[in-house]
Amino acid sequence: MKKTIFTALAFVLSMCMVLAQNEKYTQAMTTNIQALNGLDKEKPDAKALQDIANRFERIAAAEPKEWLPKYYAAHCNVILGFVGASLEEKDKYLEKAGALLKDAEAIAGKPNDEILVMQAFHSQIHLAADAANRWEADGAKFAEYITSAKKVNAENPRIYYLEGSSVFFTPEEFGGGKKPAKTFLEKASQKFAAFKPETSIHPDWGKAETEWMLAQTNQ
Amino acid sequence: MKLFFYLLLLISPLCSAQKTVSGKVTDKKGNALPGANVFLKGTYDGTTTDANGSFSFQTSETDTATLAATYVGYEAFEKKIGIKDNATDLSVKVEELANELNTVVITAGAFEASDEKRMAMLKPLDIVTTAGAAADITGAMQFLPGAQRVGEQEGLFVRGGSGQETKVVIDGMIVQNPFFSSLPDVQSRGRFNPFMFKGTSFSTGGYSAQYGQALSSVLLLNTTDKVSNNGLGISLNLANAGLNYDYATKNQSISAVAYYGNLKPLFSLVKQNVDWLQEPEFKGSSLTYRLRPTKNGVLKVYGMYSASDLSMNSRAPASDSGQMKLDLENKNSFVTSTYTDSWKDGRWSLNSGFSYSRNNDNTTLDGFNFDRFDERTQGRVVLSRLLSGNNTILFGAEAHAIRLKNGVAGKLYNLKDRYTAAFIESEIYITRELAGRIGLRAEYSSILRDVNLAPRLSFAYKTGKYSQVSLAAGQFYQNPDYKYLYTNKNLDYERADHLILNYQIIKNQRTFRAEAFYKNYAQLVREFTGQKFDADPYRFPWGRTNNGGEGYARGFDFFWRDQKTIKNFDYWITYSFVDSERLFQQFQESTTPTFISNHNISLIAKKWFQKITTNVSMTYAFTSGRPYYNPNNEQFLGDKTAPVHNVNIQASKLQNVLGNLVIFYASVDNILNTKNVFTYRYTPDGKTRYAVGPQSYRSFFVGMQIMLSKKAKVSKDDI
Repeated sequence: MKKTIFTALAFVLSMCMVLAQNEKYTQAMTTNIQALNGLDKEKPDAKALQDIANRFERIAAAEPKEWLPKYYAAHCNVILGFVGASLEEKDKYLEKAGALLKDAEAIAGKPNDEILVMQAFHSQIHLAADAANRWEADGAKFAEYITSAKKVNAENPRIYYLEGSSVFFTPEEFGGGKKPAKTFLEKASQKFAAFKPETSIHPDWGKAETEWMLAQTNQ
Repeated sequence: MKLFFYLLLLISPLCSAQKTVSGKVTDKKGNALPGANVFLKGTYDGTTTDANGSFSFQTSETDTATLAATYVGYEAFEKKIGIKDNATDLSVKVEELANELNTVVITAGAFEASDEKRMAMLKPLDIVTTAGAAADITGAMQFLPGAQRVGEQEGLFVRGGSGQETKVVIDGMIVQNPFFSSLPDVQSRGRFNPFMFKGTSFSTGGYSAQYGQALSSVLLLNTTDKVSNNGLGISLNLANAGLNYDYATKNQSISAVAYYGNLKPLFSLVKQNVDWLQEPEFKGSSLTYRLRPTKNGVLKVYGMYSASDLSMNSRAPASDSGQMKLDLENKNSFVTSTYTDSWKDGRWSLNSGFSYSRNNDNTTLDGFNFDRFDERTQGRVVLSRLLSGNNTILFGAEAHAIRLKNGVAGKLYNLKDRYTAAFIESEIYITRELAGRIGLRAEYSSILRDVNLAPRLSFAYKTGKYSQVSLAAGQFYQNPDYKYLYTNKNLDYERADHLILNYQIIKNQRTFRAEAFYKNYAQLVREFTGQKFDADPYRFPWGRTNNGGEGYARGFDFFWRDQKTIKNFDYWITYSFVDSERLFQQFQESTTPTFISNHNISLIAKKWFQKITTNVSMTYAFTSGRPYYNPNNEQFLGDKTAPVHNVNIQASKLQNVLGNLVIFYASVDNILNTKNVFTYRYTPDGKTRYAVGPQSYRSFFVGMQIMLSKKAKVSKDDI
């Protein structure tokens, strides 16, 4: 009897610990996601960003079965790759982001629209770092990731936001600009209105950026 | 009660006192690394290092834990630490990962244009945006250090070598006829469109054991394997009209090109120094198919066919009228297929190829038949193995069957050669600062009935974060010009020995490179006619021949490129010096051959004007005088021409027309209208001489490229 109670209690306790661990995970993720969202979108502080990237990476190391920490760590590194001072520095972060995304892909095990979107974003930022020499290879990669993401989940609003932003920043003489971007951004805006992240810690970014860009196209 | 006690025991570790873990993260040299991630593996406990590389965090772990540190660009660090008490003053030293910046690259003699390698000094687009290159690959290479400009002949003349000493290699396969058929005193263009290639590597000597049959240099061209989906494009200019179409699915893609050209309109606008009876007319097409049958495998099949037709009066000082009527009808086809694949995470890789080329020149000179025919079939396999520490070893073999026919005033000469080669080469990284490449190539030619063994060596040492020195040496063999083999099958290989010392520094979009070289020529073919020197470059060698020739070439060159100082402005300067003497061909004594110019300088500037989306490029090229044969001068080749100057400009504008991208381009060649002279030819009596100069002096060219597809997105440099 005593033994049974003990076993039961131990079981309950271990369950509690698992739950506690889960709660700890969600809690840590939420805090970090908030910190990431709280950064200045136009001029994010590289130091703060690095710190957040490190936090996500620590969670990733402790939770080897979760793809989200890797995903967010990659997101931070992509942004770091955007704000980096030199091409050399940018490429270092982008290389890191690429590796994290590869890990995330392996953990997820099956094609995941959010990871594909992040990979598209990664190619976009990699292209921007040295546009003259990278437009061809990275442009093709970007298109490939976007197509694959649509196949998995055509409702993901970030797909259209990225398409829109890509056109938005392409010079007019190459068929880009604010006007042609508008269609994509409007579609993104629609999809954002209907979008509900799977959990509170699943990707839910891009809405504010879409609205900002859309406002620009209306000017 | 007892249960509660157990419970407490279980929970107690969770509530145990927090301990401090602190220390400093540095690189191997002790420099602090701010922003590094330090944590205990498997826990959430950790922090980011501050500006001094220091870290300090709390943990509730007990006994031992694994301290981990990561820093972008550095190897991950892990170490078991005891944390019974606070663990302070921990020293974490991380090592930088091997990357393009901290690892030496073997570079002596190589000049690369590549998108993929950061060490490359040129980008593929530089070839088409350089004024004076006329969007011709070899045209652009002529502005590189080590190359000499010889205006009246095609080919790359590298460091004292003749145009025939450079081989053009596409995806590992030797191209039998890289240029349009040679015309007397007219420089022919290359047959290949620069947009076909993702990378170009121009060797100024000391090249890899993977290649052979070139005494001076190889120009390696790698076709693109990018899957583009550009749809239909139209190109229109003063000389031709063409269509190109690209279509791609996930694993396959196809590109088709067709063009028709006629130089009559252009030649009626630009005064010609050549007496055309029928302006060149040409047509051609090509088809490329690419397939990815496996994850890493790529199959490429490229086929092209072109035909051209022309008639001209060429200078013939020996004939009574001073000229000779030349009719030339050319048909050329080239098919090449390559398969590349890799296995085991890239540890094994395969490069294989098969190609066939066929060229027909139906030529008549004053009604006499001078037909030429050649055919080359080749196969090639290279296997490489990536070993630990980035070391590699590769081995491979190639086999060629070559057939040639040459009509000389009605008499037909025939030649068949089976050429085989095997090679092995290894790249060894002794440290990140010191690397070497050792290779050996063995060749057999059935016509020479002889084997040669050519060792190749290269070393590179990193002298600083951005600079390195390298050294290359090797032996290079080439079959004698086939025109000698028609009449003498007992000749042997010609040989060159190279020694190259190189220094380069690439920092912040500025590049400086200096190279010095010594080249020894041996076993060159000499011809004994027993008569006076005949300067006619198209004469058939009928004299007795042997391999008794020799020579040398020595010199240095500099390259400076700056893309940083002024925004959207890019310029480069090259200077090449060569001193060379040879005893070969009909030479009776050792002297400087006619294709040598001691000094070659080029200045290239490019500027992008964002507001008008236009790229403007300017090139100035200086070539010092070259020796020429004057029968009245007792000293053989004792005369020299005046230097050649040429200024070119080129502009291209991007414009969106009804949603299609259109690129307009215009260029002016020899804008100062300099009356350049490349060489002189004398009548047999030595009394009159003719100047041989460019096909035209000042000339211009305009055209446009239309991309009939909304998908077409092109960057500013794609012009």
